[in-house]
Amino acid sequence: MDEDTDDILNNIIDDDDDANIQMTPAELIQKMEEIWINEKFAPELLPHEQEIVDLVLSQISAMEDNVETLPSADFKKGFYQLEIDRIRFVVTSYLRHRLEKIETYVLHVLKEDEEREEAYLSEAEQQFALKYKEALEEHFDNATMFYPGLPFEDWKSNFVRPNMNSFVFLKAKSNVEGVVVDRGQGDDNEIVDIKAGSQMLISYKGVSDLIKKGDLRLI
Amino acid sequence: MFGEKAYLLIKELDRNRDSLPPYNTELLSEIHNEVKQLVTENQEDANVSEQSRLVENVSYVPTLKIRHAAIKRNIRCILAYHYNRLKCLKTIRWQFGSILPPEVKANLSQAEIDFFSKYSSSLMQYMRGIGDDGGVNLAVNLKPPKSLYIEVRCVVDYGQLELTDGSALLLKKNSRHHLPRTECEELIRQGVLEHVV
Repeated sequence: MDEDTDDILNNIIDDDDDANIQMTPAELIQKMEEIWINEKFAPELLPHEQEIVDLVLSQISAMEDNVETLPSADFKKGFYQLEIDRIRFVVTSYLRHRLEKIETYVLHVLKEDEEREEAYLSEAEQQFALKYKEALEEHFDNATMFYPGLPFEDWKSNFVRPNMNSFVFLKAKSNVEGVVVDRGQGDDNEIVDIKAGSQMLISYKGVSDLIKKGDLRLI
Repeated sequence: MFGEKAYLLIKELDRNRDSLPPYNTELLSEIHNEVKQLVTENQEDANVSEQSRLVENVSYVPTLKIRHAAIKRNIRCILAYHYNRLKCLKTIRWQFGSILPPEVKANLSQAEIDFFSKYSSSLMQYMRGIGDDGGVNLAVNLKPPKSLYIEVRCVVDYGQLELTDGSALLLKKNSRHHLPRTECEELIRQGVLEHVV
C-alpha cells in the first residue's frame, strides 16, 4: 500500500516547497502522525508545526488531482481515495485538538505566548484565541455586572491551567540523560537516564522540554 | 439559606447533561435579587461599623464576612452556569454547523445567541485561513474513516441530491443508498440520512 502511495506521490513535483525541509512523502506522513499523537496526549499546547501541516495539505490536494486522472472503473481509485481521507483525518484531528486546548485554556495560552519568544500559536490561531477570549469576556461580564459595586470575582486572574503533572506514556527516540523525576514531596528527586527505544510512563512535567525538542515521543 | 437558589441552578444543568434546557431567567433574577440584597445590607453594615467602632466595640465584621462569602458563592454559581451552557453550545456548533435548529435557539438567551454568532464567525475565519485555497472544513471527518462507501437510509423526504461526480439521486423516505462517505457525512449530521450498520 505504501509503495502505491509513493508511486502516486512521486508523480508530484515537491522538491522546493520549503527550502529547509526535504522529506520523502512517506516520512512526511509519518512525521504528521507523530505530531498528531503528541498533541493528542500532551496536556498542554505544543509548539505549532504549521509548515508540516501546510506541506501535508498540499500533498493531499496534489494526490486528489492525481486520483481524478485515473479511470473511474479502476478499483484502485477507491483505495487511493481512502488513503487521502485518512490523511485528511489526521490533519483535521490535529488541528481540532489544538483548538480544543486553546479554548479550554485560553487565558493561560495567551499569557504564555506573550512571555515566550517563539510563539506556540500560529497567527491564525492567535486571531482565533483573541476573538474567543473577547467573546467570553463579554458574555461573562454581561452575566455578572448586574449591580454596581459587586465584589469583583475576577475570574480573569484565576486561570484554568493544564495539569502538568499528568502522566503520559512515552517512547524514547534517542539516548537521553538527566531527566529529573519529581517525587513531589520533599527533595528526593531522582535523575534518570533513558535509553533509546525504551518505553515508560512518566509525569509530563519532567519531559516536556524533551518532547518539544523531539527526543521523545508520546504513545 | 444563602446560595440555595444558586444550587438549584447548577442542579438543573446537571440533570440535562448534554442538552440545553431553556435559559432560566426567573431563577437567575431571583439570585440577582438575593445578591443585591446582600450587597446593600453589607454596605449599610460596613458604614455603621466605621462609626460605631470608635464609640463602642461593636464590630459587624463576621456578619460582613459571611455575606461576602455568600455573594461570592452566588457569583461563582452564575459563572459556572453560563460557562457550562457555552460548552454545550460549542458542541452543538461542531455538530450542526453554523445554522442553529429552531428548538435549540428557543432555549438560548440573547447573549448566548450573540456569543454563538461570534464564535461561529471566528471559527469560519480560522478554517478559511488554514489551507491555501479555500481552507479546510474541520468539522468533517470527526471519526477516522474506516471504509470509503457507507450504507445509508433516508429518514425524511429530501428530494434531489447532487453528487460531486455529477449524478443526481432522489432521496425519498426509507430509501437505502450505498454512497461515498464524503457525500453523506454532512447529511447524516443534519439528520436527513441515517447510517445503517
